[in-house]
Amino acid sequence: MDRLTSAYRLWGGVKLAGALVSGIAIFAMMLFIVADVVSRNYLGGSIAGSFEVAQNYFMPLAVFPALAYVYAAGVLPRMDLLRDRLPDALRHAITHVLVVLEVVLLVVLVHYTWVYAMSGMDRGVAFPAGGSLYTLWPLFFLVPVAFAMVLIETLFVLGRNVLGSEVSLTFAEAQEEARP
Amino acid sequence: MSEVLVITVVVAGFALLLLAGHYIHSVLLLAGVGGLVLLDGAAILTGLLGPQPFARTASYTLTTIPLFVLMAQFILQADIVKDLFYVVNKISRGSRGLLGSLTLLAGSMLGAVSGSGTATAASLGQVAVPELRTNGYSPRLAGAVAAAAGSLSGIIPPSIILILYGVATETPVGDLFAAAIIPGLLVTAVFVVVMAVYLARSGIDPAALRPAEDTLPRIPRRRLVVSLTVSGLIVLVVFGGIYSGTVTPTEAGAVGAFTAFLAALVLGKVSSRFLSTSLVETVKVTVMVMLILIGAQVFGRFVSLSLIPRRLIDALEPIVETPALMLAILALVFFVLFMFIEGAAVILMSVPVVLPIIEVMGVDVLWFGVFIAVIASVGLITPPVGLSVYAVSGATGISAGAIFRPALVFAAAAAIVVCGLLVLFPGLATWLPGAGT
Amino acid sequence: LAVTAACGSGGGSDDTVTLRVATGLSEQHAWWSDSMVPWMDRVEELTDGQVTFQSFTGGELVEVPDEVEAIQNGTVDVALILPIYTPDQFPMAEVTMLPVSESDTLIGSEAWRALVESDVELGDGKTYYESQFGDQGIKAFPVSTTQEYSISTTGQELDSVAAVQGLSLRTPSRIHEIYASKIGVNSVTIPAVEMFDALSRGAFDGSFYSVADWSGYGFQDLFEYTLTGLDAGHFNGLIGMTQDRWDSLPADVQDAMTQAHDEIFTPGAQEWVDRSDEMIEYNEERGGQFVDLSTLDQSVQDLMLDGVEATWQDYIDLLEADGLPGTDVATLWRDLLVEAGGSVPEPIQDLG
Ligand code: NA
Ligand code: NA
Repeated sequence: MDRLTSAYRLWGGVKLAGALVSGIAIFAMMLFIVADVVSRNYLGGSIAGSFEVAQNYFMPLAVFPALAYVYAAGVLPRMDLLRDRLPDALRHAITHVLVVLEVVLLVVLVHYTWVYAMSGMDRGVAFPAGGSLYTLWPLFFLVPVAFAMVLIETLFVLGRNVLGSEVSLTFAEAQEEARP
Repeated sequence: MSEVLVITVVVAGFALLLLAGHYIHSVLLLAGVGGLVLLDGAAILTGLLGPQPFARTASYTLTTIPLFVLMAQFILQADIVKDLFYVVNKISRGSRGLLGSLTLLAGSMLGAVSGSGTATAASLGQVAVPELRTNGYSPRLAGAVAAAAGSLSGIIPPSIILILYGVATETPVGDLFAAAIIPGLLVTAVFVVVMAVYLARSGIDPAALRPAEDTLPRIPRRRLVVSLTVSGLIVLVVFGGIYSGTVTPTEAGAVGAFTAFLAALVLGKVSSRFLSTSLVETVKVTVMVMLILIGAQVFGRFVSLSLIPRRLIDALEPIVETPALMLAILALVFFVLFMFIEGAAVILMSVPVVLPIIEVMGVDVLWFGVFIAVIASVGLITPPVGLSVYAVSGATGISAGAIFRPALVFAAAAAIVVCGLLVLFPGLATWLPGAGT
Repeated sequence: LAVTAACGSGGGSDDTVTLRVATGLSEQHAWWSDSMVPWMDRVEELTDGQVTFQSFTGGELVEVPDEVEAIQNGTVDVALILPIYTPDQFPMAEVTMLPVSESDTLIGSEAWRALVESDVELGDGKTYYESQFGDQGIKAFPVSTTQEYSISTTGQELDSVAAVQGLSLRTPSRIHEIYASKIGVNSVTIPAVEMFDALSRGAFDGSFYSVADWSGYGFQDLFEYTLTGLDAGHFNGLIGMTQDRWDSLPADVQDAMTQAHDEIFTPGAQEWVDRSDEMIEYNEERGGQFVDLSTLDQSVQDLMLDGVEATWQDYIDLLEADGLPGTDVATLWRDLLVEAGGSVPEPIQDLG
């Protein structure tokens, strides 16, 4: 149990790094779009390929690296009213089922987004903008990597649920609920 | 398996998972993936699951989600809400009714610089509730006023609900913003009236009433002037920029966030803590919305492939021919959905099913977006899932259950009055976007 | 794919086939309403119900420009494919977007069909069809091109070189971006859905667009000045499926599809002409002007036509740099266009 907790703490650093990458991408996207507005209004034309670059490069970077961090932060919405009123045994059973379903779903997601990324690489997918082609396919790999990180997070939760006394959909929550 | 059987299984599974308390995006994904596999075999996932997360995320219009959230974060972290409420408190000194009304008005002004209700509700809870209490508001009414004021961010543009609706239905976001202005002000007005009625009936809470004294720490006049000027400037940059054609509604998110960042610089608030808090909070909201969007996209593919909308239109044909009745039913269904489920999720999962019905009825898609957004924004204060109420409760310690009772009245009154007016006078929504061009 | 067919047919008898068809375009788009739908109807008719189609429009299943991917990964059987949107997959599809001095929908469509069906071997020993579609395992029938693209503005007239060079125009394709840079026009790239709003508020001056397609975004109420006599290229499209899917169809179904395509091709093109006439009439009633390039100052004409020549050269260089037969495909397109009744500036006539 303690080893799981300390491994989880190390893992937290990886997730935080991902969140920072996304945060920086959002800030950079803000600066990029502002520069494009200035360029179009005062310098006589859009930055070449501006909106395609914003949507194809900045948006995926703003979302996927932070996926596991946000998953673990416990902010993702769910309807937990009924769950909280159930008897402990039933609630534990349901939570185990949900976590296992989540593992299955994530394996499926990692698999199919990986297949898509590989096919994108094979086809050398690029997008046309500003008179030239920009390579796109490497960004496809952000998706399976992000979901794989969430899978690791969920496996931590599963381990915590099996080994610990409380069960939950997030690691931190189970820790808290286990406290006397 | 026959298509009808698949639909039945998926709907049942969807409901079960939702009730079991699973993540909403996971419910959407599981139902979508399960439905697609049952309908067409696992091979279909190569095309309808694998590409969706990236394709859905790589959208220019959706850049507004992180950027409008970032704008709101910069404003909150720069303590502009505190400053604004300080002024509200000064102006209304002594008058309970005025204080509550101005709190709601401040909420709608904050709505104009914030895309989501939850963040504004939390900070209004922090700064407004103590003052309302001091002036004799009961805890639950004070909490409800702050929560209602915060929820206005959901309908007063810019609004994430409107952006998502625009993306899902391919309606220009700029038109939606323009269309929501009058209904947003109407919701504010209804809130003010409901609050006045509550005040008149409940009387003063003697436990809270204290002699008038400065409970807020004094804020220097110079800072107030700077703070109010920069927030006015942000509104001007966003709306003036859109109206003058300098920026598109999509770019307004970036320009607004940048202006808010400059404002925070001027106010001397920018630090590494300021930046990391703003960015991390923004990342959380962004990822949350995007995950639901991705889930809704996959679920939407199942909905399309199973021909649910076409079946539904056939089944509803007699009702569809009476648009007013159909709209009343839809309003009720949405009100209930928004009670239980977070707004963005409802919009995203319902659009694939509802939009074809709306189009068959000949209802203006733009108008319908505003109609839904009104219900969605009051959904922020309806039990059992009312994020705005939870935010206020979390910030003040007043129990959410207590706040929900008056808040539900605020919500129901606003939904009935404003949606009713929208049905009777569609121009309330469609006039401004038309006038813009 | 067999699974798709079996599932789609709802467990019907063995010799009926239900094909799933998708487009990211709206149901009202002329390629859907007046090429794809008539084609499907005719195939159903000719096969006596042996083939039926289940269609998904407006991106409800597949979005622009993912149609090719969707037929390749088996999401759908047939799709309306728009190769110009994915030059990374179809590097020579943009050839029809090259600006010329004179063309129209019927000329452009005829030349496009001739290009797709041409047996002329390009530099690499392959026909155009083989190199673009056949080698990628795609079976494709060309539909009509769009009407020619024109330059339209919200009022700014193109009566002097200075006026042209001060303009900011939306450039919907790579070729337009090249052309804009050649004539000194500022390129604006924003998504089509945001264009009406941005234009009506004066964010920029106009766009390269096809008149027949104005109604899709309401531009008939917005544009006030349109330059004719300079044809800024034709967008092209095809009805596509995988070669495997095609090969799996019985010969009589294949014949029906081929015959149906032949029948719907020209009426499909005519729809653009009708729509354009309607748009022009409506726009002129509102005070819109259509100005022919030949009536403008000689210096403007020279600028615009020199730009055409430079754009062809750039496009050829772009292809050649990627090891593609740029000169061959450009001259083949030129010859087919001229044969169909179009014309190009003299230096381009001398190419190759
Ligand atoms: Na707002
Ligand atoms: Na609610």
